[in-house]
Amino acid sequence: MSNINGKVYAMNVVTPMKPWKTWLLRTLFFALWNIKPLQKDLINLSFIEFARWVIIPRSRFPFLAHGQARENLQYDYLLFFSNFNGTWNQYIDAFSSVLSRGLNLIWRWSEKFPGSVPVTPFKEYIAQVQFDTDYYYTAYPYATANDLKAAHIVQASLDQLAQQANTSDPKQFADAYLHFVLQVQSHLGNTGEAPLVS
Amino acid sequence: MSKLNETDIQGFVLRGYNMPFARYLFLHFDDALLAAALVHRLMREITTGQRWDTGKPQSTVNIAFTHRGLAALNLPDATLLSFPVEFQQGMKKRAAILGDTGRNAPDQWDELWREDQVHAWLGVNASTPEALNARCADMVSIMRETKGAILLAAQDAASLVFNGVPTTKEHFGYTDGFGNPDYLGVERSSQPGQGKLMPDGKWAPLATGELLLGYADEAGELPVAPVPHILASNGTFMVYRKLHQNLATFRTYLEEHAPLYSGGKEKLASKFIGRWRDGTPIELSPDHPDESITQDPSRSTNFTYSADPEGTRCPVGAHVRRVNPRDAFGFDGKLINRRRITRRGLPYGPSAAEDEPASDADDRGVIFIALNANISRQFEFVQQQWINYGNDARLGNEKDMLLGNHATGKGRFVVQGDATPTNPPFICGNLPNFVELRGGDYFFLPSITALGMIGMGLVDPR
Repeated sequence: MSNINGKVYAMNVVTPMKPWKTWLLRTLFFALWNIKPLQKDLINLSFIEFARWVIIPRSRFPFLAHGQARENLQYDYLLFFSNFNGTWNQYIDAFSSVLSRGLNLIWRWSEKFPGSVPVTPFKEYIAQVQFDTDYYYTAYPYATANDLKAAHIVQASLDQLAQQANTSDPKQFADAYLHFVLQVQSHLGNTGEAPLVS
Repeated sequence: MSKLNETDIQGFVLRGYNMPFARYLFLHFDDALLAAALVHRLMREITTGQRWDTGKPQSTVNIAFTHRGLAALNLPDATLLSFPVEFQQGMKKRAAILGDTGRNAPDQWDELWREDQVHAWLGVNASTPEALNARCADMVSIMRETKGAILLAAQDAASLVFNGVPTTKEHFGYTDGFGNPDYLGVERSSQPGQGKLMPDGKWAPLATGELLLGYADEAGELPVAPVPHILASNGTFMVYRKLHQNLATFRTYLEEHAPLYSGGKEKLASKFIGRWRDGTPIELSPDHPDESITQDPSRSTNFTYSADPEGTRCPVGAHVRRVNPRDAFGFDGKLINRRRITRRGLPYGPSAAEDEPASDADDRGVIFIALNANISRQFEFVQQQWINYGNDARLGNEKDMLLGNHATGKGRFVVQGDATPTNPPFICGNLPNFVELRGGDYFFLPSITALGMIGMGLVDPR
């Protein structure tokens, strides 16, 4: 019933494309998928848990039963789905300031896309084409992507230390403990409530 | 960009006056017409950004208004409703967003701030106590003559004096006031590290619209501003916060933890904030203070964090790294350029040298004043996301060591280190509140043109 669950936000964006433009986007996605460095900026945005664009051709909409009337759609559609930490505004601001070129490449084929810079028309566009989330489950609402990554690092290091501790003498343990602390020292943030959305 | 119209912008916005004494007068308006007449009369007192070709004056005067104050001046409703929501609400109503809860909650504030009485701030800065008193007396007599305002309270602030020498230190002993940003069109002696980081590693001024209304900002847009445009242009928003410092708590905490830290007391103190107490950035000089850096403008602010991702030199959670992360989040610092604020203000209360007794109950702290074009995107974001939360720094819910509201008493600060004996990893736990909020509000700091419109009742939203 809400886009927000603790520290996580689920965003759905659906935009129409003229069908003759769809193959251009398909070519681009093929390139993006195969040229990994192009994905680097998206991956480096540490507050993004997940982001994916999918093309839904007008002929491929679900047809559930014969009781459903056949639709005659004029447009193909682009679905963008993302889970991220932080506020909607923060997310779009970051998208606009560091990914503007990539976003323009992907969304420029969609109808009436204003460009990702300046940010206000871009935000107005997203607000128009965003669909609120009906059902959304997150296993760790009090954790962000960074918290989860940090927890994995701490757990793996601790397991290693525990294993070593079985066989080490005090001096060896002291060394192993220092090594452990150095491995985990910048991953000790705790989970908890998200700041209030303003 | 050509330089700005300095005669239309209040001087307080364009420069830190570098004067050791200040008194902030808080005004209440009872009668809109008389108040407007007072504003009109004060126009000739206001210090503009015009250069002091004939030498620095002995004192300066500047003015700013709360949203209630602008309403009390009978600005048109269409104008009042066009101000950004956070300014309309004022600081008190934003307490939950700002983390101003518990001992920082509005019901704990000084009486001045509890009753929504403050309509205007009149800031007087001066070179000497005599000049300050004389100028303030002038202001009071103007208020009396025009019957335009009631003086609710006055807050003194002044540079701290240690061993008879005025300093730029605050009460915990740290040298303050390094990191103000550069903006396009603002003439000042700039230095590397003060604007925004460019992909080539150089620093450039931020867009003017990050500081002033009516100019393009970093997104290439005009900042959200009230109508009419002419009322907003060349003005800005001012955040005023009276931050009480628990000096005894700070000293005790440092004394108790320093013996456990093999880097020593001063190094531990430097890790809290990211600079040695003389101001040397620990990113540049992690092992000792270095006067050759603090005295050299080309070095004192000229550093980045990308070579220190683990916080081995400057802890990831150190105060200066949190509130101005430079390139710590990658992307050549692009994620922080729209979060920068300009700091003004001075310490208040009696100084107490290290060997002098101090109590938390003493009335001392810092008058924090920030200027920015968008309170919500700039000051509030820094306060909420970077001071009272840590996800951007990958610190989960950890708060700023010194400024965070550690209400649970379970706050933690990790000093990342390496395997050398004087720089070990170290964890500070059970953080108390070192700093507490005693009140404040959001103000609109108009241009000279706008003051004229307010003073003559000519604000026309169309």
